[in-house]
Amino acid sequence: MHMADALVSPAVGMAMNAISVAAIVAAAANVKKDELAEKKVPIMGVAGALVFAGQMINFTIPATGSSGHIGGGILLAGLLGGVPAFLSIAAVLIIQCLFFADGGLLALGSNIFNLGVIPCLFVYPLIFKPLIKGNADYRRLPIASVAAVIVGLQLGALCVVLQTLFSGITALPFGTFAALMMPIHLAIGIVEGIVTAAVLCFVYKMRPEIIDGSARPAERPGGVSTKKLLIAFVVMTVVVGGALSLFVSANPDGLEWAIGKTTYKVLGEETELEAVGGIFDGAASLRDSVAFLPDYAFTSDPENAMGTSVSGIFGAAITFIFAGATGFVISRTKKRKKAVVNV
Amino acid sequence: MSDISARVHEIRALENLAAGRTAIHRLHPLAKLFSALVFIVFVASFGRYDFARLAPYLFYPFIMMALAELPYRLLLPRVLIALPFCLFAGISNVVFDKAAAFSVGGVTVSLGVLSLATILLKMYLCVMAALLLVATTPFTELTAQMRRLCVPMVFVMVFEMTFRYIGVLLEEVHSMTMAYKLRSGNKKALEMRHMGSFVGQLLLRGFDRAERVHAAMRCRGYSLKHVPPSRRQFKRADALALAAVCLPSLLLRFITVW
Repeated sequence: MHMADALVSPAVGMAMNAISVAAIVAAAANVKKDELAEKKVPIMGVAGALVFAGQMINFTIPATGSSGHIGGGILLAGLLGGVPAFLSIAAVLIIQCLFFADGGLLALGSNIFNLGVIPCLFVYPLIFKPLIKGNADYRRLPIASVAAVIVGLQLGALCVVLQTLFSGITALPFGTFAALMMPIHLAIGIVEGIVTAAVLCFVYKMRPEIIDGSARPAERPGGVSTKKLLIAFVVMTVVVGGALSLFVSANPDGLEWAIGKTTYKVLGEETELEAVGGIFDGAASLRDSVAFLPDYAFTSDPENAMGTSVSGIFGAAITFIFAGATGFVISRTKKRKKAVVNV
Repeated sequence: MSDISARVHEIRALENLAAGRTAIHRLHPLAKLFSALVFIVFVASFGRYDFARLAPYLFYPFIMMALAELPYRLLLPRVLIALPFCLFAGISNVVFDKAAAFSVGGVTVSLGVLSLATILLKMYLCVMAALLLVATTPFTELTAQMRRLCVPMVFVMVFEMTFRYIGVLLEEVHSMTMAYKLRSGNKKALEMRHMGSFVGQLLLRGFDRAERVHAAMRCRGYSLKHVPPSRRQFKRADALALAAVCLPSLLLRFITVW
């Protein structure tokens, strides 16, 4: 479910990055207040590494013949508590993005939000904890884990759809994309929920204190309450989201593309928003002079569809060869220089 | 199984590359981080059909790889990891966007195909930018830079430890799956009903280990409180390198070559 850089627009990517950075700062401040923070840090590190290593463990899903692997958000939250689990997941996502090309720097914020903020900071306190009722046992743990994992994955998948849509990179209509993503992630969620429940039950059997510690509501002595944290996040999301929507509408982006498509259908020709009413003209010219992204060539008119043509493609091919050759020449020269030095 | 050792190998290989001594390696980490970000933002800002206009950006990865003396063979295959999701989104474009873009010798290329190609090119450029950053910056410098940027201490610590523990836990997983296979008549993968105890066991072992390591670190004077970030001057070469990436990126965004 990792978003890639190629699928997000700068506006969406940067806004999600801002939200995620704010979430990390708030969570780190919250963890630091805990007196046991120092002892928790190494455990958080191991937990993060475990999520990563756990993804390497393939297991067969009965009766299907396919294989799956564990995800992690709810599992870690059940062990460490929501906020520390979020920090671990964020660390893992950054490492995956930087070292394993999974996700990307621009899409990092989206990934941290979809896979970290949603399961650890929203779903865990709002669904897992109430279902456990501060008293974990073999009946409540499985129900809470399966429910929380499913809800978390569904929300995450929905966010992927929305982020891709707002970025305007794919031509998939919202309904189709959602209809594809949601059922797949429902199936994944059920399997992952069962595995999460199995792991949590095992840990509960061996070391009940680990689970109890994080699922008990009275866990945070004098720290920021979960409710306050949640409210802060909602406010933050609304503020940043508002700023984002301004930015998005001020820049020809996914939204405008969607609007362009719709008006195209209605009027039978491509009309832009500002062409409809004169009021927008001033805003549009201002926008064009400051816009970071000039209009995308979104149109079904084949002649100027991409501001390019066959010659453009050949040009691209030549560029590719030329770029490769440049690299080759540089490394050749460097090697030769080295050889000279060595002699 | 080979998958696991391959991952361990991947991390080590990247760390070895980052220990190089070329001019690129010596640049200030902030300059490298910032230029990678600028590059990615510019690449991502192109429209769905801007394949040809994106092509000149290919100079960046190739020139960087050559200057930093990074082997093509090691970096190129990694791009494939990001492929599945991009391919999924891209192929849907091929299905939904069937208007003809142009034709070459009687073969009509649709806008969907063009946008698929654009997505793949963008993916390649963005992945390479991130990989080039970590392949030329040692991990300790990366985290030192995070501290200088006032990233919360707790988070930097978690980040460092996660990175260090990944290798350790992957080896643990490797030996555990090996043991499981040997005892289970060479099954290809774990059975789902064994996952609870398998992962649970790994987790408990990991937590115990973390506690031992933490105790050892405390004995050697480790504490969360004070780790002064090492200072590092932003030199003229760093500014030049930053400009050398940012200016062409900016120009190419607004000037159409082809």
